[in-house]
Amino acid sequence: MAETGQISIFLAFIVSIYVAFAAVYGARTYKRDFVRSAENGALAIFFLLLVAVLSLVYSLVNLDFSLKYVALNTSTDLPFIYRITSLWAGQAGSLLLWSFILSIYFALVVLQTRNKARGLMPYVIATLAVISIFFTFIIAFVENPFQKLPVVPQEGRGLNPILQNAYMAIHPVTLYLGYVGVSVPFAFGMGAMLSGKLGDEWIKYSRKWTLFAWTFLSVGLILGARWAYLELGWGGYWAWDPVENAAFMPWLAGTAFVHSVMIQEKKGMLKKWNMSLIIITFFLAIFGTFITRSGVISSVHSFAQSDIGPMFLGFIAFILLFSFGMFLYRIKDLESENRFDSILSRESAFIFNNLLFLGAAFAVFLGTIFPIMSEAVTGHKILVGSPYFNKVNVPIALVLIFLMGVGPLISWRKASKENLIKNFMAPVLVGIATAAVLIAIGIRDVYALASYSLCAFVAMTVFTEFFRGVRVRSRRGENPLMAFGRLVSRNKRRYGGYIVHIGVVLIVIGITSSSVFVTEQQATLSKGESVELRDYRFTYEGIDTYNTPAKDATVATLAAYKGGKPIGFMKPEKNVYKYEGNREINQETEVALRSTFKNDLYLILMNRGPNGSATFRIIINPMVSWIWAGGVVLLIGAIVTMWPGGRREREDVFVRYTVGEKDSTVKV
Amino acid sequence: MLKGKLKFVVAIVVIALAVSYLVYGGVKDTMVYYLTVKELHNRVPEVYDQKVRVSGTVVPGTIKHGHDGLLEFQLTDGAGTMDVAYNGIVPDIFKDDVEAVVEGVYTPASVFQADTLLAKCPTKYESTDDLYKQQNYEQGKAF
Repeated sequence: MAETGQISIFLAFIVSIYVAFAAVYGARTYKRDFVRSAENGALAIFFLLLVAVLSLVYSLVNLDFSLKYVALNTSTDLPFIYRITSLWAGQAGSLLLWSFILSIYFALVVLQTRNKARGLMPYVIATLAVISIFFTFIIAFVENPFQKLPVVPQEGRGLNPILQNAYMAIHPVTLYLGYVGVSVPFAFGMGAMLSGKLGDEWIKYSRKWTLFAWTFLSVGLILGARWAYLELGWGGYWAWDPVENAAFMPWLAGTAFVHSVMIQEKKGMLKKWNMSLIIITFFLAIFGTFITRSGVISSVHSFAQSDIGPMFLGFIAFILLFSFGMFLYRIKDLESENRFDSILSRESAFIFNNLLFLGAAFAVFLGTIFPIMSEAVTGHKILVGSPYFNKVNVPIALVLIFLMGVGPLISWRKASKENLIKNFMAPVLVGIATAAVLIAIGIRDVYALASYSLCAFVAMTVFTEFFRGVRVRSRRGENPLMAFGRLVSRNKRRYGGYIVHIGVVLIVIGITSSSVFVTEQQATLSKGESVELRDYRFTYEGIDTYNTPAKDATVATLAAYKGGKPIGFMKPEKNVYKYEGNREINQETEVALRSTFKNDLYLILMNRGPNGSATFRIIINPMVSWIWAGGVVLLIGAIVTMWPGGRREREDVFVRYTVGEKDSTVKV
Repeated sequence: MLKGKLKFVVAIVVIALAVSYLVYGGVKDTMVYYLTVKELHNRVPEVYDQKVRVSGTVVPGTIKHGHDGLLEFQLTDGAGTMDVAYNGIVPDIFKDDVEAVVEGVYTPASVFQADTLLAKCPTKYESTDDLYKQQNYEQGKAF
């Protein structure tokens, strides 16, 4: 089985090289057969890597310890499902997964677009093939998942227990789908520049892929946060660790891109900007992979030190030089068809949105590579920690939330005074009222006040949009529910986008509440003693141990009361996994969590003391669940925007928006 | 037109300046030196009132879990060793020989008062050496 996989990877590398050359040669010489053959080659890469993945999974499931990768990441006591997920637990497997996901995208892009954008496609194919060459080269020759061990060990090292978690099983795949998915719009952008077809075609055909990748990046980030929250046991979900930043940076740039392409589609502007943005986004995605895979920047998660670092740097340099070189070569053809009329317009709201997203990405990038830079410049390693990232990003985020409310309602080209008053009166009032109510109930934190009021403002703008659309339709005799359904299904992109915005609002509320109003306390309790925090009381009932084949668990029981009423027992655990000597990591803290939309009670068993006493850390984390709920809403919204169909049957419904002349009607 | 364009330039410059200011202020207020144990010792006494981050390996056998969640251990980089006191959440992977990072203040009493403790998976994580250790021991033969 291993040999099959080995050969498949090698062949995938060879075929990738062939595809790159055949596509370019076919396009240059107008030999359609070569382009066809390159297209089929793309499908072949997919099948070859599929075989490689399946054979590695086969070896993992059957615990073929003669393979180094299997021996390092599994053990005989590992449950079936985690044997499969160890495919992405280590370096070589992760890179194989990267290549495989790329090949899935590659094949789908070819199948979907090969007969549509014939001028563009050969170069799109060539670009994707070059990326594929790089990754298949690494897994074939440097980090080969099918590498054999000289002597077959009897037992593997096993999977790190903190990775044995349902979220960890899906989070890396989700994130990879996002990371790798960015390659598709990048390839279309490169295709446009290489072929000289610099119209909107590249954006049109890559749009869904962009949204798809963006969605998976978002969901991957949220799943990662959730995993950290449940599993790492320190009470938080985001620590600005380099590995987290690695995924956050392409998300920031990608979010800017998702918005700015709309301006190009609608107004033919920002062509240079969009091209640069997608190059930057792809660069950040590869850079993120580089950070997580090379161990260059010290991180708590750092997976492995390895010699693939320089290769990645070389590849990154190649991408940047080549794509920006092409960009300069084509810069004359990327002129705007329109110009900006006013600073008070939707176009400029989008511009500011983009600048801020990019500013945030730059700040995060700088903070992440600061240790390397400072060491190179001053000789001292200097770090900036989470306070830096919060200080910089929180103000930027607040302005972005404001723009999120402004963008959808402000008119194109130039907003008149009437437009502004008519559209923004209600949302602004709602925002101010929210601030007033919050001050009245005693909230004084400036950031929290700003954040909540802005969220209320945004929610109101979205509500206004839905309300107006439904009203127009129901005046024509549809009942409101049907009107709502039709409104969304006929304009999926627009209203799906609004739903995504609502998801973001929920996430922001959750983040604000849980970071500003968190309370925590540490207490050492003897049996029967209680500790109080806010209006909660926790009584320590005792500590116990139990054993399973895989672990020795110590579990403490606390009775929780809210306002004197019992609300149940909470059982934080500390586990020691067996197979000592084989595993590097054998301890696991299992927090006890009681989650409602108002509060999360988060209990950590820190230490077991003498005479049955124990030390606990108790955290009351308000509204954390809003983050996860917001993630679900965001996903729903994203699915709506991507849902196929609807565009052709779209009917033009007009709503009167303003009394001004220029923007008196707007399509719904 | 020109006036409109100027407004844009001004707005963009303002945003760029604001972000740069945030970055500058953020770096200035939050930067900490990342030192090895030896570098820390070399910087005594001016290091005493500075917040620093120190990395090293946990000296085997020095981990003491005190009452009330207090944790004491020694950190070494091969060239120097220091005592660390910490009270807070201990990462699961923290144990003897693991690479740890502490952030806090080094006190004149020669104890590092840490308010953050991070532990890293050992860098030998992908090495295969200790896969054989146990079975060699069991089989009693040299490898």
